[in-house]
Amino acid sequence: MKRLLPFLIILSVLGVALGSAWYLKRASTQNSSIAQPPSSATATSNDSTKPAAPTLTAPGAEPAHSMGTETARITLEEFGDFECPPCGQFHPILKKMHNEFGDQLRVIFREFPLTTYHPHSVAAASAAEAAGMQGKFWEMHHLLYENQKTWHESFDVRPIFEGYAKEIKIDVEKFKRDINSDFVAKRITEDGKRARSLNVGGTPTVFMNGRELPFPTIMDESALRKALQAELDAAK
Amino acid sequence: MMIHLAADAHQKIKTANTSPLTKRSIYLFTAVALVSLLGLADATYLTIEHVTGQSVRCTIIAGCSEVLSSRYAVVAGMPLALVGAAAYFTVFALATLSAFGYRFAPTILNVLVAAMVLVSVWLIYLQAFVIRSFCQYCLFSAAISFVMGILLSVQYALAYRRR
Repeated sequence: MKRLLPFLIILSVLGVALGSAWYLKRASTQNSSIAQPPSSATATSNDSTKPAAPTLTAPGAEPAHSMGTETARITLEEFGDFECPPCGQFHPILKKMHNEFGDQLRVIFREFPLTTYHPHSVAAASAAEAAGMQGKFWEMHHLLYENQKTWHESFDVRPIFEGYAKEIKIDVEKFKRDINSDFVAKRITEDGKRARSLNVGGTPTVFMNGRELPFPTIMDESALRKALQAELDAAK
Repeated sequence: MMIHLAADAHQKIKTANTSPLTKRSIYLFTAVALVSLLGLADATYLTIEHVTGQSVRCTIIAGCSEVLSSRYAVVAGMPLALVGAAAYFTVFALATLSAFGYRFAPTILNVLVAAMVLVSVWLIYLQAFVIRSFCQYCLFSAAISFVMGILLSVQYALAYRRR
């Protein structure tokens, strides 16, 4: 018996480790597939006289930045941070889905800069919002994600963002003023409030018609395509 | 408890496979085994986060995404965290066998922990100068490796002095 003791200890630890791994995987999968309640943005956004009840979902910045028609059968609402690497990886996937699904898909982008770990995230969000004030939000959005690695490593991102503003042919002087404006700051805050009310804990987080999609699904092109197709089929 | 069991078993098992150990060596091997459990828990957690895709995400509470979504987080198609979990479990098994006096175990244990310390140094270098971002779970794992390295160095030095 004594000779077997070390092996029994080792096997017990192996059993506990495998059991914990199984439990963690199960818990993690369950958490990521919990559906969020449908958004109440439409219900609250037009009623500015009544203060929103704390239990309601915050509407976010209005009007939201969106691609696609309002009549689209699927609305994907992304909470993103321009400096977050997985958001950069998700960008081409979402672009591809938008091209594939065309009028059936509407994409909304919400600012959710994670300032603790991404020092330029607010500057990038402000740049996108400032470009949005001149009607070029999506052009700046694309440039920021597609060149994320370049500006992420820079100490001073302002000249880079001003270069992007020139590239998308907007008034650079106005862009420089708007980037620090209260209007831009307020839009970012409003989106942040919406993120908080929906319990968004990270980026990218994507809601499909008000239900949160599991993270592995959105990062996998074919899985996302399947989820979108299933939603379309269900809506028929 | 393991220390007493090991010491007790050690006195009773006198076969060709085991060698006499001082109490201090048993303590040190037991400490390595216990510390390796922390590393095993850390690596298991990271493996699950990797498999479910959560570790790659940027979250409010952790800034690991730069590190865990980098190409260095996967070795030959396998999550590095899984390799780490296997290494910590092997360390635990070898340290337990060493505490119980199995002669073959300490040599393999020393080589394995030395390799883990070197890999940890390499990973810290990658985080500091290549990825330019740190992940607290990875730093914790590196710290565990260094502690195990120190404990085994002390054990080795004591054994060398006894000879």
